[in-house]
Formats: sequence, C-alpha cells, structure tokens
Amino acid sequence: MDYFLNLVNTIGIHTLLGLSAYILLLTGQLSLAQAGFFAVGAYTAAVLTVILGWGILPAIGLAMLITGLLAFLVGFPALRVRGLMLVVATLAFGEFVRMFFYNFRWRVTQEGVEVGPDGTMGFSEIRYFAEHGWTSWEVTSLIWVFVILVMAIIWWADQTRSGAVLRAVGEDELAAGTVGIDVTVVKMAAMTAGGVIAGLAGSLYAHQITMLDHHAFTVLLATFAIAYPILGGVSNVFGTLVAVIFIQGLLVEGLRFLGDWRMLLFGALIIVVMNVKPRGLFDSQTLRWIKSVLRLHLSRRIS
Amino acid sequence: MDDFWFEFVEVTQSIGDGVLFGSTYALIGIGFTLIFGAMGKLNVAYAAAAMAGAYSSLAIYILFDAPLVVIFIVSAICAAILGYLVYLTCFRFIPVHNHLAALMASVGGLFFIDEVIVHATRGSPLAFPSMFSEAYFEVGPYGIRGDLLFVFFIGLISTGVLLYVLFRTRLGLATRAVAQQDVAARLCGMSIHLTNSTTFAVAGLLGGIAGAMTAAAVGILSPVMILPLTIKGLIVTVIGGLGSIPGAIIAGLFVGGFENVVMYFRGIDERDMYVVALLFIFLVFRPNGLFGKTITRD
Repeated sequence: MDYFLNLVNTIGIHTLLGLSAYILLLTGQLSLAQAGFFAVGAYTAAVLTVILGWGILPAIGLAMLITGLLAFLVGFPALRVRGLMLVVATLAFGEFVRMFFYNFRWRVTQEGVEVGPDGTMGFSEIRYFAEHGWTSWEVTSLIWVFVILVMAIIWWADQTRSGAVLRAVGEDELAAGTVGIDVTVVKMAAMTAGGVIAGLAGSLYAHQITMLDHHAFTVLLATFAIAYPILGGVSNVFGTLVAVIFIQGLLVEGLRFLGDWRMLLFGALIIVVMNVKPRGLFDSQTLRWIKSVLRLHLSRRIS
Repeated sequence: MDDFWFEFVEVTQSIGDGVLFGSTYALIGIGFTLIFGAMGKLNVAYAAAAMAGAYSSLAIYILFDAPLVVIFIVSAICAAILGYLVYLTCFRFIPVHNHLAALMASVGGLFFIDEVIVHATRGSPLAFPSMFSEAYFEVGPYGIRGDLLFVFFIGLISTGVLLYVLFRTRLGLATRAVAQQDVAARLCGMSIHLTNSTTFAVAGLLGGIAGAMTAAAVGILSPVMILPLTIKGLIVTVIGGLGSIPGAIIAGLFVGGFENVVMYFRGIDERDMYVVALLFIFLVFRPNGLFGKTITRD
C-alpha cells in the first residue's frame, strides 16, 4: 500500500511541477529552469522545518514566496531574450542552482545530532512528517489538496480574461502587443507564478522523500517538467495530469522490468511525439476527435 | 613583491591553459551557431552527438588498434553521421515554424544519445589516448602543455577549413543563402533540406573533432562530460552572439580562460557555477552577445 501511495505522491508532485511549466508554456515560453525552482523550494522548506523548526504550512508558504521572488529576478534578465535564448538561459540557471546546492553546507547540531544540507552528501533526515506522527494517507492527502487547489486555480484563471491574455501572448507576441497587452508584464507574471508552483512542488517533495540530493535536480527533471505539458498539450490542465500518469505511472513504474532502458524510451518517446504531433498529444485536433467520438457514442445510446 | 610575481605567473599560466582548452568550447559553439544560423533553431543534442563521435572513435581505436591520427578523422565522420541522423529525427519532419517542438525533440535526442552511451559503457569513464602529453615547452616562467597546444592547433585548422568552405565554395554559398532568406534561396532552386542536412553534417564534423579534442585534453571520456559540454557550448554561443562564428571563437577562448581563473581562485567545485553566472551577466548587459545582430523576431 505504501508503494502505491508513494506513486500517487510522485504523480501529485510531478503534476505540480508540470503545471508550473504549463503556465509558462501558455505564453509560448519554454523554461528549463523549473527543476531549479523545484530545488530551491525543496531546500528552503526543508531548512525551515529541520533547522529552524517551523511548521510545515508556514515553511511551504515561505518557500513558495522565495521561489516566486527568485523566478521574478531570474525572469527579468532571462525574458529580455526570447524563445530559444530563454531556453539556454533557463537551462544554465537550472545547472547553476544544482551546482549551488552541490556546494551548499549548513550543518547545525540539534539534540546531539548534526542535521542540515551537507554539500555533496545531500540533505538527509528531513523528518517532519515522521516526527509529527503523520500517516502516509495524511501526507498523500496534503499533497493532493495542493494539486487539486492549483489545478482548480489554473482552470478557473483560464476561463477568465487572464487566461485569454496568456494565450494571446503565446499565439503571437506582436499581435498581442498591438492590442494593448504588455507582453513583458504577462511573461513576468507567468514566470513568477510558475516559480511559485514549482517551489510548492519542491517543498512537498522534500518532506515526502525526506532526503535531498543534487542529482535529483538535473536537466532530466527539467525536461520532465516541460515534457508533461508538451505531451499533454496546453488545451487544459488535465492534459498535464494525464501525461504525468502516463510517464510516471506507465513509463517509469509500469516498465520497471526494463531497468534503465526506460530512460532511453523517454528520449525516443519525446522525439516520436514531436514528429507526429508537434503541438502535443492532446492538441485541439485530438480533443475535437475525442469529443466527436464521445458524441457519436452518446447519441447511439440515446437512440 | 616575489609573492605577487609568483601569483601573477600562476594566474596568467592558468588563463593561458584555459584559452588553449577553450578551443574545444569554441568549436562546439561554432557548431551550435552554424545550425542556428542555417535554420534559426537550437540543436541541443549537438554536443551529445559530438561526444558520441568521440566514443565511436575510441571504440574503433581499441577494436582495430588503429593509429592515433585516425581518431580525430573517425570521430569527425561518426559525429557527422550522427548529426545527420539528429537532423532527420528531430528537425526534418517537424513544421518549420514550430521552434519549440524541434527544440523539444532535440532535447529528447540528447537524452537518447546520453542513455545509449551510459548503457554501452556502463557509465564508467574510459581512458582516452592523449597526444604529445609528454611534450612540454618552457617559455620564460611559463610552461605550455604539448597536448593542449596540439588540441589548440587542431581547433585552429578546423576553424580555418570551415571558414574556407563557408566563404569560398558553392556549398558555403548555399548555406549562407539559406540562412539569409530561405524563401528566396528556394526560389533560386536550392533544396532547403539538402542544404540543412549538409549544415548538420558539417557541424557534426566539427563537433566530432571537438569531442575528440576534449577527451584528448582531459585524458578520459565519460558520460558526465556531455551535459557540461552542452551547457558551455550553448553559453559560448549566446555570449558570442547567436549565429556569429567569430563571436563563438572569441567567446569560446574567453570562457576557457575565465573558467580556469575561477578554478584557480575558487576550486573546481565552484568553477561551472561562475561560468553560468557569466552568462547571466551577459544576458543583463548584452543580451545579443558580443557580435550578435539585434534579433527583432525569432
């Protein structure tokens, strides 16, 4: 059962990570920095609960605030360049964060035990849930409350004007600019929101996994983050969730018997999907097809 | 005073070594820039293909006991073939204006090549034969490592050949024409796909040489070298200005020198961190790089 719950947790956390890239993707930006924000959120929240003894919710809150601020600061120079250059900048930022935590040491002694991040050795003993007697069910519930909350907010925002503005910038920056949308402000807002969500995902991840290691935050994680919304398509938030379930549930867990060859499949899968469906698996074309099939099915049953 | 003099010699020595090694970054940067110039797209899998070329040359060197000189040629050819394959799988059939899809596909290509290498070598580093490593020249208080000098000259020669091909042959003319205006080039009867795939193959040739150079200068070949080489190549491309070959050369040598200075003062653990920070300084103050044209729309 714990194995199953862990998988559910992973899916929840990766959905949040995917959604953080999803918002940016709506504005047409491809960011490989999400793994970096994820790492910052994870380390910040873990330092707050382990070293400073904060509660989990304030720690998550502050971690989200800090990653949001960081995303804002990074977005400022990074968004001066567009499209492909942004990819390079964010890729570099992600590596910068990883190398920063590779060198990051802050050890304190608590009750005779040394805790805290220890550079290359990682940051172990993040035992907030265990110390406060949380059951696995409660942890999973906490994670999924956040997932559902974030999905609902993005879903709702997508129905309002802000969603239309984001998509307008994504479709054509120049056209969006001519109808009076401040493109830079929109992109900065998306970047910041993406950072906040990635920070949330990271802080949940840190406490669920209880052990942070800089190896977990490589470009692979960043690629996962953008692969979810790209494979799932940016039509709506559920595409991301489906893609996470597909990749984490089926590809990573379901094909465990293949061993490391799964990662080979991951690379090949991205290439194949991009060739066959450059706008994502669940693009408007596919959705129309699914809807028509459903309608046909329903009308048959009625008649 | 003596202390200062000693320090000065040490620092300039490490800058010099770094600049010599930076020729590998310059070559990788030129490859990225060539492909960007021709198609306006980033091929993230490029450095991975370059290292894969180095791996295949090492395999042939071990299997057939080939002479050392062959290594660079084999590596170049293998990387060129790989470059062409990357073009076929990640760029050829993806709509021209969908930059992000092509980019994403090449990221997939990067992981695919990376994983294949990890599997083939079980992730462990392999010894790579270095040339002239016993040669050592002393110039005043400085010493110049023979293998680094050799690597530098190989880089110089390949850049020269590339510039010749680009500016003195019909192939180069076609490449530059497609880069400038692909519609007009097509109207003149040039095949876009043929030109693009040749560009990828030529960039692959350079990459293969750069991969073998990196391995020869470091002395080992390891899968963990792929990602740093990719990132540094991209940084060099951005600092030099996307699409600018002289920019890539200068930025490559500069990054090589810079990272060695950082390593001298801060140690190897923090080296790459500062190289990345350098990129951000450029993004803030000179987002178009040293020689880049102002990009109005991409």
